[in-house]
Amino acid sequence: MLDNAYFSPPNLNEVCELLAKHTGKAHIIAGGTDLMVKVNRRLMEPEVLININECGLSYIRKEEGNILIGAAVTMSEIIESELILEKLPMLAEAVKKIGSPAVRNVATLGGNLVNASPAADSATALLALGASFKLVSKNGERVVEGEQFFVGPGETVLKADEILKEISVPAQSEDEKWAYYKLGRRKADTLSVVSAAVKVKFDGEIVEDIRLAIGAVAPTPLLAKKTAELLLGKKLDDALIEEGARTAAEETKPQDDVRATAWYRRQACAALVKRLLGQVRG
Amino acid sequence: MYPVELTVNGQKYKVEVELKTNLLEVLRDKLGITSPKVGCNTGDCGACSVLLDGKLVKACLTNALSAQGKEVVTIEGIGRPGQLHPLQKAFHEHYAVQCGFCTPGMILAAKALLDRNPNPSCDEVKEALSGNLCRCTGYVKIIDAVMAAAKEMAGTETV
Repeated sequence: MLDNAYFSPPNLNEVCELLAKHTGKAHIIAGGTDLMVKVNRRLMEPEVLININECGLSYIRKEEGNILIGAAVTMSEIIESELILEKLPMLAEAVKKIGSPAVRNVATLGGNLVNASPAADSATALLALGASFKLVSKNGERVVEGEQFFVGPGETVLKADEILKEISVPAQSEDEKWAYYKLGRRKADTLSVVSAAVKVKFDGEIVEDIRLAIGAVAPTPLLAKKTAELLLGKKLDDALIEEGARTAAEETKPQDDVRATAWYRRQACAALVKRLLGQVRG
Repeated sequence: MYPVELTVNGQKYKVEVELKTNLLEVLRDKLGITSPKVGCNTGDCGACSVLLDGKLVKACLTNALSAQGKEVVTIEGIGRPGQLHPLQKAFHEHYAVQCGFCTPGMILAAKALLDRNPNPSCDEVKEALSGNLCRCTGYVKIIDAVMAAAKEMAGTETV
């Protein structure tokens, strides 16, 4: 038993030192809205807790064309940020659908990502937006593309002594269309049955660039690359939208769980993708 | 065990907690304040909602150690018999209470809304209460009560 196993370091260096010292034992806590569910259900008992609310990761700022978001920024801070509402409206839309006011007041963007639920709603939006994540340890830092970050349910590329420091997202531009939808069993405090996010740049009616992400339909939040390849360079007409929706559903690897069956998720995925592509076409 | 100091309804307390202790356990088991209810213990129902430094949180999902130095308000902190808060009065007058289990959380969620937005729309009230379940399903009367309290409070302020 350690003399002291609870820490609330004033800076990130100390967080990294503690993670190196207590590798494998330490759990990071910010809002705690995922961690405490596991603790309350007795699925885990923390040996060492590192609270990161005081270590300077609560910033949102613009740097060149990117919006930088510290990992400990809360969901409420995101949807109240003028900068996010103006430059990342799709992220704001996705975050509004996460949890409920009491959860969003403390739950953090970094926590939603590191918890690595396939149904993490911020992840769906961030993959479509082309976000990258900065990971830091005592030995330095590295940047990982959003789609490389998730490994499986609850698993990421984060090493035991690393922390997610910052999420960098290219600002949305006026000439890009976007759409986001979350399908849940109730409006609040629910994990997605399926969520989908799309960002498209058109050249006239031709799809010039597209990123489509789908949540809760695979072991990780899914960047639907095959669907994007299919749509790229083509005129987005009704027939192509139908084919895109079918392709997206085929790209998924959903499973049965308490919220929905795999069969239902595939159907819902196709319906959602069809709806979103219709929306961005206008 | 680790010491935690916090203020609840204006009174200072010092308690000993474990790493796994949540704020709801502190309030109910250590301080005997049982108005926040243990509904689901997983953040789904909102029956344990309290205000932490003025912000609505679910006490069951709040690690006790991260409440160090903070100020907690439960339903006892906003009014008492003879001096009911306008929200409490409106819940009473609009029959917005059936079994009462969700009521403390509902009222605190409504207070968190009215503190920020004194003149909410019906949709804003629904959104603010979206994390609070009423299994008697008395939502219509609850929403009526919050809208009435908002009016009442606006009236009191202008007088």
